[in-house]
Amino acid sequence: MSRRAFLAAVAGAAASASMRGAHASAVDERQIKVAPGEVRLNGAGGPSTAVWTYNGTVPGPALRLRQGQPVRVAVENGLDEDTTVHWHGIRLPNAMDGVPGLTQTPIRPGESFSYEFAPPDAGTFWYHPHADSLVQIGRGLAGPLIVEEAEPVAFDGDLLWLLQDWRLTKDGQIAGGFGSMMDASMSGRVGNLVTVNGQAQPDQSVRAGERVRLRLANASLARMMALRFEGHRPVVLAIDGQPCDPHEPEDGRLVLAPAMRIDIALDMQGDPGSRHDVIDDFYDGLAYRLTTLVYDNASPIRPHPLSAPLALPRNPLPELDFANAVHQEIVLQGGMMGGGKLKGAGGMMGMTMPGMNGGAAWAINGMSMTGDGHAGMAPQFMLERGATCLLTMRNETAWWHPMHVHGFSLSVLSRNGEPVPHRQWQDTVLLAPKDTVDCAFVADNPGDWMLHCHVADHQMAGLMTVFRVK
Amino acid sequence: MKLTYRLAALAALIATPLPAFAATINAVMYKNPQCSCCESYANYLEHNGFKVEIKPVNNLSQISSDAGVPADLEGCHTLMVDGYVVDGLVPVDIVKKLLAERPAIAGITLAGMPAGAPGMGGEKDGTWTIYAFTKDGKAPTVYATE
Repeated sequence: MSRRAFLAAVAGAAASASMRGAHASAVDERQIKVAPGEVRLNGAGGPSTAVWTYNGTVPGPALRLRQGQPVRVAVENGLDEDTTVHWHGIRLPNAMDGVPGLTQTPIRPGESFSYEFAPPDAGTFWYHPHADSLVQIGRGLAGPLIVEEAEPVAFDGDLLWLLQDWRLTKDGQIAGGFGSMMDASMSGRVGNLVTVNGQAQPDQSVRAGERVRLRLANASLARMMALRFEGHRPVVLAIDGQPCDPHEPEDGRLVLAPAMRIDIALDMQGDPGSRHDVIDDFYDGLAYRLTTLVYDNASPIRPHPLSAPLALPRNPLPELDFANAVHQEIVLQGGMMGGGKLKGAGGMMGMTMPGMNGGAAWAINGMSMTGDGHAGMAPQFMLERGATCLLTMRNETAWWHPMHVHGFSLSVLSRNGEPVPHRQWQDTVLLAPKDTVDCAFVADNPGDWMLHCHVADHQMAGLMTVFRVK
Repeated sequence: MKLTYRLAALAALIATPLPAFAATINAVMYKNPQCSCCESYANYLEHNGFKVEIKPVNNLSQISSDAGVPADLEGCHTLMVDGYVVDGLVPVDIVKKLLAERPAIAGITLAGMPAGAPGMGGEKDGTWTIYAFTKDGKAPTVYATE
């Protein structure tokens, strides 16, 4: 985007953001430096781990932005390899999307790039690199991005847990072996230590009677999570930053795939002084304690739980026009136990292992786009600007895939023929093995946009495609 | 009657080639929690005199790497048996040969998931090469072919 175009966009945003008053036209200036660092993931007494950081911390600093207010984030690359920043879930101009080769020249070592946008949607988002992303996210690069509602929403507390999954060696360093063929063609590089805001199993201090908004963000490379709050009944308020009809999740379990966010309301109805574990039991036989809610001894701040409505204000998403919608389908193929359907990569059931020697293990509609994004990626399909697209995603593989669309939020319509309730909009839609999901979105934002699996190994090994909005 | 039965049993015992190990062999299998082929392989071993304890793990490639399996020869699971590592869908005769011969290696591996291998469906469509590896950085050598 040219500076002039940006200023015009700023002026437009300022005019429409009536709540911002005298400061409406000010551009919010932020700086982020990407650089190696050291952190202790297991508390002060644990080993120091060499990581890559945003501004020296893991996770990176929480960027709190205002809905509709322009921001300029200057990103300086202190690594000795290229990087970019992808503002995951934010509907922004294509040139700000952070995909190397496709939307920008990557930020070379020692160089900087300014990302400029005005986030249209309030909610919970995150930022991460889109260059060498398997390694860069795996070494710690991820940070929360919160866009505050124009009108504040009342809760007793606003908490954020950014969840990261680390594969560490016995001496607490990040294990090598990124991109192993076994990880690439199975469930990705799942690690052996999960942190909440950079700390393993930290206690979470809470107070009886309060109602908190808890923002959960899964910044893992590959680890699916299913969180249970013992003794509590979380209510889902928003998914991937987009408010939905408030509802309790099925079986009280919050399924949070890599790159997904869920905002919940949590009424702290435990007894003063009590402790309640938060358990992740996604993988059979591998449940573990993520963290613990620790009530202080104070008496409840109110005698009864709040009865105030929970629904968050909806974001200004474009209206879907089903009558004139165009249909597109993407089919996910490949992986272990995939039945040898992947063309050109050796059969899964043959002697060749998918993903061997950095080759493709996966494909979308028979085509394997590997890596992080590069010039000359031919769009899988084209959409006229403003058209409503009905997008069917069909998972033919034996594995789970959180499919992330850049630049848009998808209205999730149905899963395996069953309507999806609660008016959910998501930028990252989890497909279980053999799932088929129907979604819809309005192609209101021109550019070449990526659509890929957010299990980083899967993306690198071919589970990626591009579509163009003209 | 009893004598006849005993003699017949004895004759059967003599006539049947004895497995190399009469006692149950204990093994521990590390596998991806979401992969099902490995369970078929564990069943196959159990039908051939093994007792297999299955341990689902999320960081299988790290476990096999720590066990010395070369990155380009990884199988789809890692079995620890009697001091050796057996990676992938190695036929049971070769596992028993390993345990009988007790060579000075860390283990053996059949890379990938070849068609027709124990636990896999399909027809065998080529020669399988089972490699021996050590943990001292030496190149893997061919242990057996089938």
